[in-house]
Amino acid sequence: MNTETFLCRAADVPDGGALKIERAGRPPLAVFNVGGRFFVTDDTCTHGEASLSEGEIDADECVVECPWHSGAFDLATGKPCGAPCTIALKIHAFECRDGALYLLG
Amino acid sequence: MSEIEIEGGPRVPCADGDTLLAAGLRAGLGMPYECNAGGCGTCKVEVTAGSIETLWPDAPGLSDRDRRKGRVLACQSRPVGDCRIRLRLDPACVPPVPPRRQRARLIGAADITRDIREFRFATEAPAAFLPGQYAMLSVDGGPRRAYSLSNIANTAGEWHFQIRRVPGGAMTGWLFDAPPASVELDGPFGLAHLRPGTRDIVCVAGGSGLAPMVSIARGIAADPNDGRRVHFIHAGRAAADLPGAGWAEALIGLGARLDYRPVVSGDDTGGLPRGFAHEALAAFAAGRFDDFDYYCAGPPMMMQALEALLLVEQGLPASRLRFDRFF
Repeated sequence: MNTETFLCRAADVPDGGALKIERAGRPPLAVFNVGGRFFVTDDTCTHGEASLSEGEIDADECVVECPWHSGAFDLATGKPCGAPCTIALKIHAFECRDGALYLLG
Repeated sequence: MSEIEIEGGPRVPCADGDTLLAAGLRAGLGMPYECNAGGCGTCKVEVTAGSIETLWPDAPGLSDRDRRKGRVLACQSRPVGDCRIRLRLDPACVPPVPPRRQRARLIGAADITRDIREFRFATEAPAAFLPGQYAMLSVDGGPRRAYSLSNIANTAGEWHFQIRRVPGGAMTGWLFDAPPASVELDGPFGLAHLRPGTRDIVCVAGGSGLAPMVSIARGIAADPNDGRRVHFIHAGRAAADLPGAGWAEALIGLGARLDYRPVVSGDDTGGLPRGFAHEALAAFAAGRFDDFDYYCAGPPMMMQALEALLLVEQGLPASRLRFDRFF
């Protein structure tokens, strides 16, 4: 059965910024806003325990850089694109409706 | 001698010829790093005052984006005069034994497998390091390479390395064919060392990843208060890479607490189980991955497969795994 979970309001995530979403008993998520395009990923870097929502966002390349070791991930695919990260970041499906984001699945 | 200032932090001296990373670690700072060889990309810093010279401008640990943003690898950067750098110090990276440079005499060599030879060096001072760490060996004016230690700390000053001959490799050709009377030994380095714990451990060794895994197992054997069992998965391309359980037991000295599991990836199995290291691990730990802590050392493909199995598929926290990667 498909379910959807409220994540945040779109207005809660500034352009060029990110918002960390805590979840009971599950790994936190990060919602990114890159020029009005939203992305939902795991918040914890796959290399260490850093929070990617505190990372630097490169809007041109649609990349987030980890605040610890400047490893990088492609926000659209989750693929690592900067050492030391080697494991892909989990990307989550979501829906944007009436100014709010809902996690799908 | 120059001085390195960490922004918002301490100033440390930097001896001539030392990198930013080596100077920081010698002073006991928690400088993030892993390989100390330009490959992993963990030791990126920004130089905010003064200048540096770069030992390896094309080091794969830096991306074009890193270069554009002015980042450098601390392990490949030597200060030219005093400088100031910006980085995030990490208490988890404080070296348990600060590395130092010493002269080490070659005191012996013996073949371990068909292409791995143990080289034994001795320093004047006691050999201080933790099981699973590595040291940089260099010849005067020659190459400088990282090699894992295979023994454990000792007051006799002995440092043992099990080194795989790399065809055409400058350093190994020289070590195997014209062994020097002495080398410069810089170390110890590495954070993939043996940690205390209550779970039994799994060591996965491939190729010259043998040395650090032998050191880890020996570390457990040498501690009378450490009752952990060691499940030792030893992966080779052919049976000739794997000298056998009797050999492993004699090498490590754990008695019944050593569970040696050879696995061969190629056709020439010599009757040993066939498969890759991660397949052997998956079969061994099926349904009980959470019962163990993991130490792994080997070539990049093997390590990627083990990462995929343990971190992605099984969801184990990174703190339960210690990976010694080669770059």
